Amino acid sequence: MSLEFLNAFKFMRKDSFLHNLDPRAKLFLAIVYTVSALLFNQIVPLFFIFLSLIPLVIIGKIFRQWVKSIRGLSFLVIFILFLNTLFISLSFAIAMILRIFIMVSAFSIFFLTVDPNNLALSLISMKLPYEFAFSFSLAFRFVPTIAKEAQNIMDAQQSRGYEMQEKGIINQIKNLFPLLIPLIICSIKRAFNVAEALESRAFGSKKERTYYYTIKYSLKDWIFTIYLILFLTTFIVIKIQFNLMPEFFSWSLPV
Amino acid sequence: MIKDVMYTYPNGTLALKDINLNLYGGEFIGIMGKNGAGKTTLIRTLNGLIRPTHGDIYINDKNISSTTIATLSKKVGIIFQNASHQLFANTVEDEIKFSLKSFNLNKEESQIRTNEILHQFNLEKYRERSPLNLSGGESKKLAIASIICRDPDILIFDEPTLGQDAKEIESFLRLIEKERENGKTIIIITHNIEFAFEFIPRTILMAEGKIIADGPTQKVLNCEELIDKTSLILPQSRQFSLALHSKGFQNADTLFSKADVTKYLMQFLKNSSERAQKR
Repeated sequence: MSLEFLNAFKFMRKDSFLHNLDPRAKLFLAIVYTVSALLFNQIVPLFFIFLSLIPLVIIGKIFRQWVKSIRGLSFLVIFILFLNTLFISLSFAIAMILRIFIMVSAFSIFFLTVDPNNLALSLISMKLPYEFAFSFSLAFRFVPTIAKEAQNIMDAQQSRGYEMQEKGIINQIKNLFPLLIPLIICSIKRAFNVAEALESRAFGSKKERTYYYTIKYSLKDWIFTIYLILFLTTFIVIKIQFNLMPEFFSWSLPV
Repeated sequence: MIKDVMYTYPNGTLALKDINLNLYGGEFIGIMGKNGAGKTTLIRTLNGLIRPTHGDIYINDKNISSTTIATLSKKVGIIFQNASHQLFANTVEDEIKFSLKSFNLNKEESQIRTNEILHQFNLEKYRERSPLNLSGGESKKLAIASIICRDPDILIFDEPTLGQDAKEIESFLRLIEKERENGKTIIIITHNIEFAFEFIPRTILMAEGKIIADGPTQKVLNCEELIDKTSLILPQSRQFSLALHSKGFQNADTLFSKADVTKYLMQFLKNSSERAQKR
């Protein structure tokens, strides 16, 4: 099993409309899509929301990475499908899968197109204390490192006969320990090292600090934000007036 | 045997180009080259962690293209650089037992094998201790023990001397010698040219995914042209002999090993004292 899908959340410098947007606009995009996805538990509206993401992915030139992030959800998809079909219905299971696809896609777009340095700057401009903004951007920057480490751990365990695919849910959960424990320990060790390195460079010694780079909310960011507001408003209206919507909006599978 | 192996990463990077190699039982081989040369990719193909995009690998005359990693790990054991990437069990003893799990041994057989390995690696006193509380050297020892207990035919070490003190390197060498006597093939990835020069009989040099040299270590690592391509530096003995030559010591440039240089200097001192006595 490859953990390469985690690379689907790694920032890649490209020249596209999405890459050139302000990080705050893209954070707003992730929030808008997440809220929209949470509004519904019917297949059709969720499918429309999901469809509306595809042009954004294409404009952002991140189609391949986005497909990888969706493929990486296969285990979770099986889990959701199994449990929801068993306890509720197949339609509900499909709706929940679409919901998770939308949320992951929205954040995948965000992570793939936001430079960690700009992320910290945008959070600071939103009046968040520098320490928090820096921690957040640092965590964000470590996603690919942790992905690589997880792959190394898996390789090391497989080299001594570890097999991921075991029969039964309990065995599969038990089977995660050889991967999770080293990953957690290594992450904690790294966190301590980073903290020491930061302290040795006098991190946080001055309360007021200046910034070499600054970011500005431009006209295209405002246009995109207005589009997102309209998008969210439309779906809120659909939710409130759901009974007045065409019948196919509440379509579900016969089983 | 590795035949015409090529590997391209999913992002399009060509990591291995036309790799052809023959490895024999009991051999001790070093793989050297600068970072990104393809050393780690090459060893990962040997136990199926990655599959070549072109070419074939044969172990004991059997093509391994369709053999599972679990099966291959019984023949090829890789000890990765960072021991903490594999230690997770509650105790040192459990860590060894985890490695034996795929052999379907019964409880008694597993305990016997665990005891043997703990004794061999002098880890008995830590039997009940958490692997996470071991020192760096001991963790490394446990990581090696957890692979050797599986008795693979080929043992691959990724940077085994990194962060090890002289005594630990010495004990590592004793272990290698023992495994070689048992007919195991030992492959080491290292940047430690002095270590390779002194102890490894055969060296493979890699650059940009290709094997650029394969032969006796003293010959390969004394070639300035090859060394330049791999971001390595000449071994100290060679640097010393070239410095002697530049200062007018005749034929010093023909010296390669520490033993050659020592012999040359002893002879020089002897001749000098004889000349002084004659005067």
